Amino acid sequence: MVGYDIQDILDHIDGEFPTSLERLFEFLRFPSIATDPAHAEDCLHTAQWVKSMCEGLGFKTTIHATTGQPVIVAKYEPPAQVLAGHRHVPHVLFYGHYDVQPADPVELWVTPPFEPRIAPGKDGRACIYARGACDDKGQVMTFIEASRAWLKVVGHLPCRVTVLIEGDEEGDAEHLDRFVAANKNLLKSDVAWVCDTGLWEPQLPAIVTSLRGCIAEEVTISGPRIDLHSGYFGGPAINPIKVLSSILSDMHDARGHITIPGFYDGVKKLSPAQRHARRRIPFSEKHFLKEVGLSKAVGEADFNVLEQLWDRPTAEINGIWGGYTGVGGKTVLPAEASAKLTFRLVLGQKPGKARAAFRKYVRSKLPGDCKARFTSHGGFSSGVKIEDKSRWIEKAQAALKNEWGVDPVLVGEGGSVPVVEGFKRHLGIDSVCVGFCNEDDALHSPNEKYNVESYQRGAHFWARYFHEIAKD
Amino acid sequence: MTNIKAALELVDQSLDQAIERLFTFLRIPSISADPAYSSECQKAAEWIAHEFTSLGCNASVRATPGRPMVVAHYTPPNATKATPHALFYGHYDVQPADPLELWTSPPFEPQRIKNKKGVEQLVGRGTADDKGQLMTFVEAARALLKTNGSLPIRATFLIEGEEESGSPSLVPFLKANAKELSCDVAFVCDTNMWDAKTPAITTRLRGLVHEEVTITGPSIDLHSGMYGGPALNPIRALAKLIGALHDKKGKIAIPAFYDGVADLPAAVKKQWRGLKFSEKSFLGSVGLKTAAGEKGYTVLEQVWARPTAEINGIWGGYTGAGTKTVIPSKAHAKFTFRLVSKQNPAKVLKAFQAFAQKQMLPDAKISFSGKGGGSPASEISENNHYIRAASAALKDEFKRDTVLMGSGGSIPIVRHFKDILGMDSVLVGFGLDDDAIHSPNEKYNLTSFHRGMRSWVRIIAALGEMK
Repeated sequence: MVGYDIQDILDHIDGEFPTSLERLFEFLRFPSIATDPAHAEDCLHTAQWVKSMCEGLGFKTTIHATTGQPVIVAKYEPPAQVLAGHRHVPHVLFYGHYDVQPADPVELWVTPPFEPRIAPGKDGRACIYARGACDDKGQVMTFIEASRAWLKVVGHLPCRVTVLIEGDEEGDAEHLDRFVAANKNLLKSDVAWVCDTGLWEPQLPAIVTSLRGCIAEEVTISGPRIDLHSGYFGGPAINPIKVLSSILSDMHDARGHITIPGFYDGVKKLSPAQRHARRRIPFSEKHFLKEVGLSKAVGEADFNVLEQLWDRPTAEINGIWGGYTGVGGKTVLPAEASAKLTFRLVLGQKPGKARAAFRKYVRSKLPGDCKARFTSHGGFSSGVKIEDKSRWIEKAQAALKNEWGVDPVLVGEGGSVPVVEGFKRHLGIDSVCVGFCNEDDALHSPNEKYNVESYQRGAHFWARYFHEIAKD
Repeated sequence: MTNIKAALELVDQSLDQAIERLFTFLRIPSISADPAYSSECQKAAEWIAHEFTSLGCNASVRATPGRPMVVAHYTPPNATKATPHALFYGHYDVQPADPLELWTSPPFEPQRIKNKKGVEQLVGRGTADDKGQLMTFVEAARALLKTNGSLPIRATFLIEGEEESGSPSLVPFLKANAKELSCDVAFVCDTNMWDAKTPAITTRLRGLVHEEVTITGPSIDLHSGMYGGPALNPIRALAKLIGALHDKKGKIAIPAFYDGVADLPAAVKKQWRGLKFSEKSFLGSVGLKTAAGEKGYTVLEQVWARPTAEINGIWGGYTGAGTKTVIPSKAHAKFTFRLVSKQNPAKVLKAFQAFAQKQMLPDAKISFSGKGGGSPASEISENNHYIRAASAALKDEFKRDTVLMGSGGSIPIVRHFKDILGMDSVLVGFGLDDDAIHSPNEKYNLTSFHRGMRSWVRIIAALGEMK
């Protein structure tokens, strides 16, 4: 494919930058808080705005009702002369979300969360301040503006594109999972481009190639039939808080290893090459922990912090309660004690098996007079690992390097981006996770921001990524 | 000579009115542990003070830094220096009522019901612990006054309002009013019968000390994805501490915890092992099968003569509906330690704190509420002549030998009466093991209430003979 100069496209992005900021500001003014039913109407309006914007690009766009918020699907087909002579023109699926986190505590915002503005950040760089600036409206628009520039300068995009913008990312991931499962044909593509992650450092871009999955579980241990007086029964009566604590305490050994039999089934050993790659990523364990008031990593002793976060599963207690928790004392032996847990899973672990292993472990530790009750709080995603050497990753690496002038790092993500696992499971495609957030963007917190530079270079990146595709 | 018969008859005839008065008292939610109920505690104090005034006592509600105390004095018209002087103790405060959803009727709307076996019961928070119990001596005094015109003794009534929350004001109050409150003997009505037909006097009480701990890990709540693995979870640190409290044989693993614990005298051990007591049905009544205390001790010994380390409450992180992927910054737990023989509460707390510090994982900081307070255990000689007299009076009422037993609960006042006021306490109560005190659906059998009143008529009459 010939007939254009990539520099013209980048120049166009820069020339149109003030207008593209205006469009982003329009997007940011919608308070599309999907988890709050009071904003259902706002979410619908946002979806309609996204639809008309995609239509403005010439994409064939539809809004789809789901079990949650509406989803927008926009499709682009290159003209016949572009398709001619290519055995296979690739088809990419771009993913982003229009919903945002709630804005509270609102009183901590310097300016109202849904009135975007540009102001210098702590380091003096220009930033866009608004809820959703970074997560994920700003990121979505980097792709839209890159597509717009391509269409203006070249007249077409170099591949088939399906844009999928959802509205439940900050809420229940199962809505989109159901939608994807039910619309495999509509979303059929060769690769997904997911723009919801960050830069590794302000001048060092990153591609996320491994993600942990997550399952959530609640357990209640019951002992005596009723709450007991700790004087009259203290001694002979079993205490469910004690039983629960012992079970949870025994879940890790002294070296941080999880002791649940069968929990590690399927976890792959890290190859020397993988471990070497992790060690080459610039990262200060000390700084990472110190930021949150800690000094020592307590995960599996045989792994460094990045491996503990990205390559190893966890068993975490998210909440615990039982007995009297009010003011003052109550000399009670409770009948029950409960805990909420989440398990982060890595590639190879099966969510159902991990859950069953935990339940079996708890039951195996129960004294005769205690019973355990379990509730699943969802979670169906296992860990995902994207092949580092795939052409999609290599092209993304090239485009990032061309824009930033440095080799990007391939990193992991300790949290879960369920959509990546869903794309793999339902559509059979890998995801390329590239994003331009900075560590100090305060996503989910008051005064969320997105660096103006991220917005501009993000658009450059997608333009360059298209360019790498066009080279084939 | 007191006309016991007339007083007993009046008790029998006016049972319904006595229940009505008790119900009025029970409707006041006087929960002392929760500051939100402090005005209800005041109301309960005023109500009971008014009862004493109506009996002809000189009664007053005394302010303290916490909940008020009620003190009432009665002196018979013909009193001499030789007239015995007894103090009667009870408490008007009650335990919190939660979990509310497990009550079959609202906790502060008392009901008179017949259970499945046809046993009449009074149901509500405080029926057995301790409003119902303390009203047994109030009603006995009323019946004696109405039928005999006077009591054969001088009486001082002390009703406190902080028994369920560690009695922080009690010691200063006793010290400040030692002269006014010192009597020949104290009668404390806050204990149980041996069974529904067999009266008992409690001669051994465990002590108690409280502690609340907070463990802090990260400085803020963390995302369990972004930090899960390397970040210390304070709930895990707390679970480890709790898990380490006991060894496999149920022995408490805190070094020096057992300092001062004496072996049970062989004679007492023999007496207790001779009591008709089914461990199986004691545990079975609350849904348990196996005693989880120290191996090598009977259940009665575990409850009456051995110390414990218990967790009364635990909380931390997200406890709402659904899930939240958080690693919390803090986790908390409430502990109590039951003490026996010469265990020293302050030393036990110190030993626990040192032990807890040692259990902490790196970066886990533990802090202690320091609001402990506590009291050592109490033991009373079985040969005390007030115990012998009360024992005989109870036998007259129930037609069975009175059992001299222990209690696993703590009634710190017994210790304070001895140490501050120099008097022994006789623990006579009419509660039963299945009264569900501190639990939902607390009850007091109607026979406990009725025969309790009759018993006090007999005991007060017997005291009048002890010139």
